[in-house]
Amino acid sequence: MQSNLSDVEQRVKRYWYTDGIGELTGGGMFILLGIYFAAQQYYGENSLFSGLLQGGLVILLIGGMAIGRWLIKALKSRLTYPRTGYVEYRVDRQNSNRRRVIVAVVAALVAAFSLVFAERVVSFLNLTLALTGILVGAILIFLQGRGSGLERFYVLGGMSIVLGIALSLSGLPDGYGLGLFYGLMGFAYIISGGMVLRRYLQENPLPAEGERE
Amino acid sequence: MSNELRSVTELDRLIHEPARLLIVTILSTVESADFLFLQRETDLTKGNLSAHLSRLEEAGYVKIEKTFKGKLPLTVCKLTSAGKKSLTQYRQQLQDFMNRTQ
Repeated sequence: MQSNLSDVEQRVKRYWYTDGIGELTGGGMFILLGIYFAAQQYYGENSLFSGLLQGGLVILLIGGMAIGRWLIKALKSRLTYPRTGYVEYRVDRQNSNRRRVIVAVVAALVAAFSLVFAERVVSFLNLTLALTGILVGAILIFLQGRGSGLERFYVLGGMSIVLGIALSLSGLPDGYGLGLFYGLMGFAYIISGGMVLRRYLQENPLPAEGERE
Repeated sequence: MSNELRSVTELDRLIHEPARLLIVTILSTVESADFLFLQRETDLTKGNLSAHLSRLEEAGYVKIEKTFKGKLPLTVCKLTSAGKKSLTQYRQQLQDFMNRTQ
């Protein structure tokens, strides 16, 4: 039996990530974003389709998050809860508001920096791409990695930073660069989540009828 | 009896028992958890876990609800406000004791 209560608490919090389902869904979201940015670049700024796409970003984000939540719940109900049990997490409103404020402040600082200073200083870099990579990487490392204590999020965060900077040097137009960035990050997320899910299913077979409760 | 020893005797014995302390700690981290999850996390047998949960429920520390998730029967356990208060108090008492004896 675990004697360290802090370890127990950390393990219970980490249970959310035990099956990789969150990453699989997040990966799907990233790929959708990638397709969105690439399509916008492909159709050009002045086309009707591009205008529709611009208005559709908010719908894509809000709709994607709603569908993602529904999908996670459905998959966990089918795969995770019958195997290793059901847990409902407490919504820590104060903490989640603090997180939102941190993300908003970092995003605002990054945007302000790129608008005011950076364009003049580092003209050889595509700043949108580099800063997107750094921002996504920082969110993965500080919010997901540190919050869960799982190494794979540090790896994904590092990959985001490296990929963002590498693509910023590639000379690709913004839309294709962002499309490639989100597409590759999406695939990385899906591979990571898929591996975790595969191991989880192997290690936790479905209990027989009589074994449940 | 010294103050240190007296503070130990004042500990809530219902929570002080290791298995129950583990159950209450797990439930304090989440909104609710089912029997299967608690059994896996505590490594207790069904009978043992059931007995400990019953004692915690009798004391008003845990609320147990039998429900269904789709076709699966679920026994969902939740820490009550009295349970949360007792755990906080227990940890504080233990911390105070450790501080005084160091």
